[in-house]
Amino acid sequence: MDIFANLAHGFAVALSPINLLMCLIGALVGTLVGVLPGIGTIATVAMLLPITFGLPPVGALIMLAGIYYGAQYGGSTTSILVNIPGEATSVVTAIDGHQMAKQGRAGPALAIAAIGSFFAGCVATVLIAVLGAPLTKLALAFGPAEYFSLMVLGLIFAVVLAKGSVLKAIAMIVFGLLLSMVGSDIETGASRMAFNIPELADGLGFATVAMGVFGFAEIIRNLDAGAEMNRDLVQQKITGLMPTKKDLKDSAPAILRGTALGSILGILPGGGAVIASFAAYTLEKKLAKNPSRFGRGAIEGVAAPESANNAAAQTSFIPLLTLGIPPNAVMALMVGAMTIHGIVPGPQVMQKQPDLVWGMIASMWIGNLMLIIINLPLVGIWVRLLRVPYRLMFPSIVIFCAIGIYSVNNAPVDVILAGVFGLVGYWLIKHDFEPAPLLLGMVLGPLMEENLRRALLISRGDWSVFLTRPLSAVLLAIAAFLLTLTLLPMLRAKRDEVFTESEN
Amino acid sequence: MADTMGHSATATRNTSVAIGFCLLAIAPQIFEFIWSIGTIFGWGAGRGPATVLISHATALVAGAPAALIGAASGDTKKASSDVLLALIYSYPILVVAIVTLFMTIRSAQDYVGGVILMALALFALWASSDLQGMRGFSFGAGTAPRMFGGLLVALSAGIALTGLLTDGPAMAHYAWRGPMFVMAAIVFFALAIRPLGVVVSAFVSFMIAATGSHETRWLEAAIVGACLTLGCAILFPYVLGLPMPMFPRFLVQ
Repeated sequence: MDIFANLAHGFAVALSPINLLMCLIGALVGTLVGVLPGIGTIATVAMLLPITFGLPPVGALIMLAGIYYGAQYGGSTTSILVNIPGEATSVVTAIDGHQMAKQGRAGPALAIAAIGSFFAGCVATVLIAVLGAPLTKLALAFGPAEYFSLMVLGLIFAVVLAKGSVLKAIAMIVFGLLLSMVGSDIETGASRMAFNIPELADGLGFATVAMGVFGFAEIIRNLDAGAEMNRDLVQQKITGLMPTKKDLKDSAPAILRGTALGSILGILPGGGAVIASFAAYTLEKKLAKNPSRFGRGAIEGVAAPESANNAAAQTSFIPLLTLGIPPNAVMALMVGAMTIHGIVPGPQVMQKQPDLVWGMIASMWIGNLMLIIINLPLVGIWVRLLRVPYRLMFPSIVIFCAIGIYSVNNAPVDVILAGVFGLVGYWLIKHDFEPAPLLLGMVLGPLMEENLRRALLISRGDWSVFLTRPLSAVLLAIAAFLLTLTLLPMLRAKRDEVFTESEN
Repeated sequence: MADTMGHSATATRNTSVAIGFCLLAIAPQIFEFIWSIGTIFGWGAGRGPATVLISHATALVAGAPAALIGAASGDTKKASSDVLLALIYSYPILVVAIVTLFMTIRSAQDYVGGVILMALALFALWASSDLQGMRGFSFGAGTAPRMFGGLLVALSAGIALTGLLTDGPAMAHYAWRGPMFVMAAIVFFALAIRPLGVVVSAFVSFMIAATGSHETRWLEAAIVGACLTLGCAILFPYVLGLPMPMFPRFLVQ
C-alpha cells in the first residue's frame, strides 16, 4: 500500500527531534492564541510568518499548521469557561459548553471537546493521506478554465455560507479581487493602481491586509464595544475531568457526525472551520429527539462543533496541497510561507516534496496527540491567563503586530498600510460587511485573473469555453445552483434563522 | 440588530449625509492638495499646492463638462488625468449626493456603506483608466481591474438601493478614542522604528496605544510596557535573528 509507505515516511520526518519541537511549539502557541480572545488565528499566523524565515521549510510549515489546529482546541476552553469565544470557530461551543460549566460540569465539557477534536483530527489526517494522491491526479486534468470555474465555485460557496446579506458578501469578494490587482500586472508588468508609490509596486501584502482587517480592526472594535468585556469566569475549581459513561454514549454519534460534516466542508474551497462548527451545531439540533435541551448544557452541542471545526481545519489543507488553491485565509498565509521557502503549492508538491507533505500530515496526528495530553492538565494555567485584563493585552497585541509586520519586509510603510486597513476593517464591521470574503477574494484574485486570461487566450477569446469543457461546466452549474438556492426567499429566511439564533 | 431607527431619518439628517457625500466626491482632490503642501518644505515629490488647486478646480468646473460635450460630439481627444478623475469619480458621487437629498433613507447602515463602497469602486476605475484594455482577444493590464471595478459599482449600487427600499439598522456609533490612539501608536512605530530603534519605539507606542482605553492605569501599563519591550528586544533581533535597529541612531554613533 502506497499510503502506508507514505505515512510511514511522514512519521519518520515528523518524529525527528527538531520537527517534534516545532510541532509542540506550534500547538502550544496555537492553544494560547485560541484561549485568548481578541487575537485571531489569521493575525497570529501572519504575525509569526517572519519568525519562520530562519527555520527549515518542513519545520516552519509544521509549526504554522500546529498553530492553526491548536487554536481550534484552545478556543473551546475559553468558550466553555468564560462564555466568550476565544476563536470565531468556538462561538457555538459557548452556547452549551458554558451552561455545562455553570452546572459544575466544566470538566466533562472540556474533556469531550478535547476527545472530539482528537478523534476528528485523526480521521482528517487519514483523509488527507487517502485523498491526497487521487486528487492530485484529478488536478492534472484541470486546465485554466477548470481552475477558474473551481475558484468561482469556492467564492460562491463562501457567499452562500457567509452570514448576512448575499449582496454584501459578493461585493466584499469583488472588493478583495480589486485589491489583489494593485501592483504589477503578471503578464505585461504594467503598474496597476499603484500611484507611483514604490512600496505598492509589489502589490498589497496579504499578511499586511490580513493583520489590519483581522488584527487591528478587532482591537479597535473591542475597545469601543463597551470597554471591558464582561467576563463571568467560572470560579469554582474544576473537578472530575472524566466524562461519565452516559456522556460518552451521548456524544459519540455527535462526534462522528461533526467529523464527517467538518471534513466535507473543510475540503470545499470557501469553507472552513467557522462554517463547519455552525453547520454541525445546527445539524445536531435538527436531529435531536429533544431540541429544547440545546442551550441548556447539552453535551452534543459541545461535541459536534468542536469535532467539526478541528476536522475542517485539517482537511482544508487538501485543496492547498493537491490543487494549489488556498480554501481560506489561513491557508493563503500558508501559501505565503511556502513561497518564502521556495515551494510553489500545487499538484507537483506531492511528488517533488514528499518530505514536506507527508511530514506535515503525520505531524498533524502527533500534534493532536500532544494537544490532548498537554491541554487537559494545563487548563488551570489557561484560566489564569484569561484573568489578564484587556487594557494590558491590547497594547501588547498592537506592538507585537507592528513589529511582526515590520519584520516581514523591513518596511515601515507596511506597518502604516496595516493600520489603514485596520480602519477599513473597523468601517466594514460598522456597516455590517464581513471581512472574511474580502480576504478570500484577495487570496484567489491573482490565481483567478491568471487562469481567466490564460483560458481565454487558449480559446482565442471565446467565453463559451467555460461551458463547453465538461468539468468546468459542472463546477459552474453547481455554483449557479447554490447561488439560486441562496437567493430563494424561503431558504433565505431559514438561513438567517440558522445563523442568528447562535449569536445572542 | 437592536436599534432599528433607520426609517425615522429626518430631513436634517439627510442633508448632513448629502454634505458628507459631497466631501467624499472631492476627497481625492483634497488629499492631493494636503499632500502637496509638503512639497513646500521639500518633502516628497509632485506638484505644488497652487498647481494642484488650479488644475483640479479647472478640471471640476470647466474641463470635465467640456470633455463631456466633446465626447458627445464625437471628439476623441485624450482627456487629462485630473479631468478623468472629475468625470469618473467626482461627478457620479456628486449626483448621488444630490439624489440623497430627495430620498428617504430607511437603512443608513446599508445606504452609506453602499455609497462609500461605490466611491472606492469608481476610484479604482479611475486608477486603472490609464491602463491598456483588450488587445484583440487577449486581456490587457487594465481589462480585469475595469471588469471587477464595474461589477463592484453595480453591486454597491444594489446595496445602497437596499438601504433605500428596506428597513434596517441606522448608522452604527463610531468611537474616536480607540481608533485614534491605536492608529497613532501604529504610525509612531512606523516612523520611529528606523531612527529610534525597537526599544524606544515599542515602549512609546505601547503607552500611546494604552491611552486608547479609559481604564488604563499608568503605573501598571508602564511596567507591562517595559517588560514587553524587553521581551521583544530579545526575541526578535537575537532569538529570531531578524535585523532590526535596537537603540536610537544618535546614541549608537
